[in-house]
Amino acid sequence: MLIPHPLLGPRDAQEFTYLGDAKLLDRPDGMAPGAAEAFFEYLYLRDNRAGVHEELWFHEQGDRAILLVTRDTTTHEILGAVLARDAVLSRTGDGT
Amino acid sequence: MSRLDGGLIDRSRTLSFTFDGRRYVGHPGDTLASALLANGVRLMGRSFKYHRPRGVLTAGSEEPSALVELRSGARREPNTKATVTELYDGLDAMSQNRWPSLKFDALGVNDFVSPLFAAGFYYKTFMWPKAFWEKLYEPAIRRAAGLGRLSMEPDPDSYDKGFLHCDLLVIGAGAAGLVAALTAARTGKRVILADEDFRLGGRLLSESHTLGDAPATDWLAGREAELSSLPNLRIMRRTTVFGAYDHGIYGAVERVGDHAPDASNGVRQTLWRITARRTIMATGATERHIPFANNDRPGIMLAGALRAYANRWAACPAGRVAIFTNNDDGHRTASDLAAKGVEIAGVIDTRADAQPLGDYPVFPGAVVTGSKGRLGLNSVEITQEGRTQTLTCGALGVSGGWNPNLQLASHHRGRPVWSEEKLAFLPGEGGPRGLVPAGAANGEGSTGGALSSGARAAQAVLADLGVDAAMPELPEAEDTPIKQSAFWYVPGTARAWVDFQNDVTVKDIALAHQENMRPVEHLKRWTTLGMATDQGKTSNVTALAIMAELTGRSIPETGTTIFRPPYTPVSLGVLGGGDTGAEFRPLRLTPTHEWAKARGAPFTEVGPWMRAQYFPRPGETHWRDSVDREVLATRAGVGICDVTTLGKVDVQGADALEFVNRLYCNGFKTLKVGMVRYGLMLREDGIAMDDGTCARLAEDHLVVTTTTSQAGPVYRHMEFARQCLWPDLDVQLISTTDAWAQLSVAGPHARRLLERVVDGVDISNDACPFMSCRELTVCGGLRARLFRISFSGELAYELAVPARYGGALMDRLVTLGEDLGATPYGTEALSVLRIEKGHAAGNELNGQTTAQMLGMGRMVSNKKDSIGAVLSRREGLCADRRTLVGLQAMDAGAKVTAGAHLLSDGAEERTEMDEGWISSACHSPHLGVGIGLGFLEDGARRMGEVITAANPLEGQSTRLRVVSPHFIDPDGGRVRD
Amino acid sequence: MTDLIPSLALGGDAPRAFDAGAIHLAENPGFGIASVALRRNCPPPTPFGVPLPGTAEFTEAEHGLALWTAQNQWMLLAPGRAEEDFAGAVKVEAPGTSVTEQTDAWAVIEIRSSDGEGPITALLEKLVDLDPATLGPGRVVRTGLAHQSVYVLRRNAAELTVLGMRSAGASLWNALETAAAQLAAVRYS
Repeated sequence: MLIPHPLLGPRDAQEFTYLGDAKLLDRPDGMAPGAAEAFFEYLYLRDNRAGVHEELWFHEQGDRAILLVTRDTTTHEILGAVLARDAVLSRTGDGT
Repeated sequence: MSRLDGGLIDRSRTLSFTFDGRRYVGHPGDTLASALLANGVRLMGRSFKYHRPRGVLTAGSEEPSALVELRSGARREPNTKATVTELYDGLDAMSQNRWPSLKFDALGVNDFVSPLFAAGFYYKTFMWPKAFWEKLYEPAIRRAAGLGRLSMEPDPDSYDKGFLHCDLLVIGAGAAGLVAALTAARTGKRVILADEDFRLGGRLLSESHTLGDAPATDWLAGREAELSSLPNLRIMRRTTVFGAYDHGIYGAVERVGDHAPDASNGVRQTLWRITARRTIMATGATERHIPFANNDRPGIMLAGALRAYANRWAACPAGRVAIFTNNDDGHRTASDLAAKGVEIAGVIDTRADAQPLGDYPVFPGAVVTGSKGRLGLNSVEITQEGRTQTLTCGALGVSGGWNPNLQLASHHRGRPVWSEEKLAFLPGEGGPRGLVPAGAANGEGSTGGALSSGARAAQAVLADLGVDAAMPELPEAEDTPIKQSAFWYVPGTARAWVDFQNDVTVKDIALAHQENMRPVEHLKRWTTLGMATDQGKTSNVTALAIMAELTGRSIPETGTTIFRPPYTPVSLGVLGGGDTGAEFRPLRLTPTHEWAKARGAPFTEVGPWMRAQYFPRPGETHWRDSVDREVLATRAGVGICDVTTLGKVDVQGADALEFVNRLYCNGFKTLKVGMVRYGLMLREDGIAMDDGTCARLAEDHLVVTTTTSQAGPVYRHMEFARQCLWPDLDVQLISTTDAWAQLSVAGPHARRLLERVVDGVDISNDACPFMSCRELTVCGGLRARLFRISFSGELAYELAVPARYGGALMDRLVTLGEDLGATPYGTEALSVLRIEKGHAAGNELNGQTTAQMLGMGRMVSNKKDSIGAVLSRREGLCADRRTLVGLQAMDAGAKVTAGAHLLSDGAEERTEMDEGWISSACHSPHLGVGIGLGFLEDGARRMGEVITAANPLEGQSTRLRVVSPHFIDPDGGRVRD
Repeated sequence: MTDLIPSLALGGDAPRAFDAGAIHLAENPGFGIASVALRRNCPPPTPFGVPLPGTAEFTEAEHGLALWTAQNQWMLLAPGRAEEDFAGAVKVEAPGTSVTEQTDAWAVIEIRSSDGEGPITALLEKLVDLDPATLGPGRVVRTGLAHQSVYVLRRNAAELTVLGMRSAGASLWNALETAAAQLAAVRYS
């Protein structure tokens, strides 16, 4: 598979390690009430969709960036990839 | 039965070869099959199940019958297709699957009891009596099974691999492929043209067509010359593209040295990974046959193959041949062979309105209903309007139509689509993205059609890439539509073969139908049709058509199986890409490796690392001699060990401390500059992940250590946390495992020894207390880092210097410390020391244990949110009452075995009685007895109890006393000394 | 300075060298190496007076090489400065950044072709799964080579520099030697 690294262009999947569902980005607040239930859902419940799926890849043999990749699990077509860091920051503001 | 005129062989040179011990002669350009035919040899093998005498069926890589053992000794290779084996001087081949000889095969008896071996027989036989399976049936089947024999010796050849990138990959260099490659390469785009054959041209090499009024070979030579001159075009002969993978990635094998007597430059085959932006599949088509009674005799082959042998190889198996066809193409064979002086006994055409292509006998509306000549065809029986007659002939060419070679197009599940017009499956939708079929592979098999198809396909894909490609000048070429009929097999009572390699007949398909194995996938697996090394290339479609007729459905309704890589068999050796032997994967060597090697240390693999196990001294004959000595010497004096392999991560930034505080389950907010703290990292699910230390070298500079095996995963985890969980934190990470050599210096004399290397810095207990760290220099100015931490339970430090000085530093310490009893120690002693101290290590952090089980439950802070803290408190995990204990053998000689399970004394050795397990074990030279660490139900409250360690796999059972895991210095006074 | 004698990454008594046809390999143990990572709100520094390179590029100047390694992260290599506290010197040149010593983290192997670009392209084809168009002069890539992670710098059409982790340097050298030898033994017409 070729993964379209946003900075480096298409690179072979062998340079990457698959980390898991992009849901891993939504880590709950461990100090908030109901945290146990929230973490259970965060860690174990997955839609497991046949179709467009968001997931995280670690460019281990490259620039060590973690990419948020959108991939169709039935055709393996990759629809896009962004730096996970940028995706998270744009959700929560710039984090300052 | 001898050589004809013409052909693409070099008669000026002669090659000598042997087959089954007899010497023959051929020419460059021959294959083993063509040379054997030219020498009058028709009998080439014995079939798989029935051991029927067989000859060659085809002239290509679809060959099911002429499989030979090539070469001898360690390079002997079974199941080699004689049809694609390039002849070379000294080639040595043997037929397979027969004993004692090809002519007299004892297992030919199978043929006479064939009803016992009908399809699915192994699901119904060899079952009774039950005891006979292991002792009799299985060994007998094993001996009889298979075709060729492996050499059973290590493969002496070397293999290679490479990576290619191109704009366009053209698979197949026949009419369509050549034109496509030319069209594309002329635009300057990067093109790769690959063909499995040793010559370019595909079917053009085997036909007598003219291209623009000149022989096809003239046109080919011109095109090849131009193609070779283009620097942006790479031509790969003898290269099979065997698989279509994701995103335009293709796997290919180039046979670099198979055709040479000794593999050139040592490389036999190369595995190529080709990444192509677009691909044209110009893989041609394969002819199908028509099953009839006894249609498998030597001398019966595909009509197109008979024609290829005559035109390309100037070889014919007999002086008088017949043709059996259901379409116009079969007549071409008669016409071409007649032109070469071969006598045509007749063309038996199933169609009543058959038209000959020349002056030879035609039998319209007739079928072949039998054959004679067990070791070589003598005659065929034909039936026309109910009347039978015999035709004498030494060869029969059979033409049942042509199937596009569309396998690659369905490697991504794209199902082929049946065309009633072409009576063939064509590539369907859903194929690999960017792959376009052309030529015969797309049902456009006439010469003119293929040429034009190749050009148009190239223009289309280039337009896709934004390039305007000019239509090349195409020569005048035949373009006559081939008329054909949907005649699939000749019904009858005698066996008629469909799959030659797995010996599957029409009767077997009927039997599958009768047993309700009717869906295509069931038909395939019940009969094994299509499951041999030829993957059913000459039998799949015919079988489908037969099953369709039996079920009264259409072919599209019956369906088809999809194909998977590889297109043709690929050796495991080449898939390894050349990585074999000691260097099959990278080895990581520590800074003291050479030093340890010079001292005779044996090494052990710890992941990719090689680590010294122990340092034997003269007189020591057993590893325990050395290891016990090293352990005792360390606790009595000072020991030095290379611990470079433990992961080291440099953590910097304004938020460095906050970052590690969120990673470790225990608190780090109060870690001062110049101090080190033990840290436990949990997985988010609450299971213990890794432990190590975190040293605060400066306000914004930390060094995190990990265990050796978890260095990679922990670093990955830290990057995930940094980039994905807390990207707002100001923290930067760099792995420094290799950059710094790290030596552990442990024992009561450790400080005294270090004082001899440290440059003018006070490292007294006050200046440098337990769990402190600092940067300093050693040995006259070398930059270094000193960490006062202990894995062994002794007064200990870890000293880090740039890796290039690790070996020299080790040597210096051992030399300077001689009077202090300085002793280098390896992984074995390292392990004994930490077990004696009761320190958890990888065995205890095996992904199944929690902080609570490790006795560190209270370390998990509930005042902060750290990875894994929340789920570490869940009921299920907390309900696990097993905790870390020490275990001591009751008897001096008894062995404590890691992995053994713990049971209460006297309990029955059953899973339900399991109360824990032993995670680490060793002999303790200090206690003189075997000890271990393990997890035991309610361990803390069972101190002193005697329990049993059960090892049923090895039939052992040992009694152990439950003790504190801290066998040595339980109060921890030594580390603080 | 210290009287300890340093070892070479590839384990020999002298820096390793190997010639096969037009390909010449040489171990270079002399580089001082340090990584530089920007901290929050930190403008990119210009260590030794030279701006740091953009994505996937490296610069070469009097003081040495600067490689882009990741977003906001670079690695500096200074020839002949392996015995110094090079990281300390870089810290002065790049204040406010995170500087980490890397001198002994890497084995540096220089590859030169005495026959122009061809042998270098052929070598890259055997070793790395990269489109050669992405590795023109001035480009640096971190990728997999012989099952380990390496940096590959295209110094110019006929020169490559490869950085592999020091501990696996011998395996890297072996892979490069084998590839070079195989190429020398083959003629591509």
